[in-house]
Amino acid sequence: MNGDAGPPPVASANVAVADPLERAIARVLTVGTYVSVAVLAVGTAMMLASGVQPLSGGPRFDLGQIGDDLVHLRATGFLWLGLVAVVATPASRVVASLVGYLRDGERLMATIAVLILAVIVLSVGLAIGLEG
Amino acid sequence: MLIVLLLIGGGVAAGLFGSLLGLGGGILIVPLLTLGFGLPLITAIGVSLVCVIVTSGAAAGVYLERRVANLRLGMTLELFTAIGAMTGGLIAFLVPERFLALLFAGLLIYVALTMARRRDPALDTGLAPEDPEVEDDDDQSTVERLSGPGYRVRRLGFGVIGSLGAGVVSALLGIGGGLIKVPVMHVVMGVPLRVATATSNLMIGITASAGAIIYLLRGGIDPYVAAPTAIGVFLGATLGSRTAQRIDIRVLRGLFVAILLYTAWQMLQRGLM
Repeated sequence: MNGDAGPPPVASANVAVADPLERAIARVLTVGTYVSVAVLAVGTAMMLASGVQPLSGGPRFDLGQIGDDLVHLRATGFLWLGLVAVVATPASRVVASLVGYLRDGERLMATIAVLILAVIVLSVGLAIGLEG
Repeated sequence: MLIVLLLIGGGVAAGLFGSLLGLGGGILIVPLLTLGFGLPLITAIGVSLVCVIVTSGAAAGVYLERRVANLRLGMTLELFTAIGAMTGGLIAFLVPERFLALLFAGLLIYVALTMARRRDPALDTGLAPEDPEVEDDDDQSTVERLSGPGYRVRRLGFGVIGSLGAGVVSALLGIGGGLIKVPVMHVVMGVPLRVATATSNLMIGITASAGAIIYLLRGGIDPYVAAPTAIGVFLGATLGSRTAQRIDIRVLRGLFVAILLYTAWQMLQRGLM
């Protein structure tokens, strides 16, 4: 990244104003990132409180276990939920783009969005297949 | 408790340095976790990918709001960075760790040399390089859609190849891949530097997440290390973006080049031992 995130520019004749789709996507990214970091912060605080040694080797990812860990207020549930949210945020942005482009009738961009999501799904499938 | 605080502190330093110098945190996080905390390289790369997604997310939102990032171009190219990252993520679990260490050492040396030669950004106009000789075979209606105000995208095929390469490197080494994407978009495709940087930042999310999914599902991400480090990197990058204009980057850059070269030496030893 580069250090270019200062105060928002004042709209003028020379400054392009984001279109509704780009504004919506920006919101998905920003909210997704902040929520993910907040959940990770909760998990880290719980990890500290429970005295876990971070370099002792963490548990492996188990999607089915997350719900149970969350219900029983275990740190690992919040940590995995936060990490899944981090990894899923960019894909959520692509889903938002797909909806927007379909609504605007931009078939090429909608197709590209579908293909990106297909690659993400393929990554999941290949990783699970190789583990199995 | 101390280790968690050290991980957060290390993440803050990586995010801050990366933000001030216009780099993603990945180039610093992997050496920090392997050489500083003794973690396996594959775990450090997985954690680094998570951190890269976090830092790019908030910044990409700002770039989109300001309309600096080119969403259409970014999405078109990130289809290929995602394919590359998926491939790189699968390869990373097959190659020996020593090979990855040597590859990372090469990357560190390349970045150090590039940074040492870098001009003052104030002298750079950021305009796309002129190249009137280029004959473009790309579909013109597609080119029009992907171009932006004041510039016209060219050599889309090179962009696709560069994006595939950037994706592979990203997932293999735990970096965002901007080191490849920005030059390809700016120099080869004629995109202004500011737009190329912002668009690359937008693409980093999907690029890194395509790789991170493989690491996550194959046990390459340790949640106890990833969470504190990602929080630290997020805080450091946020701090860096707010202080960038008040700091003399030239001094910082010299220090950074020295750190990179020292880290490259350590990585080389790890790879050759």
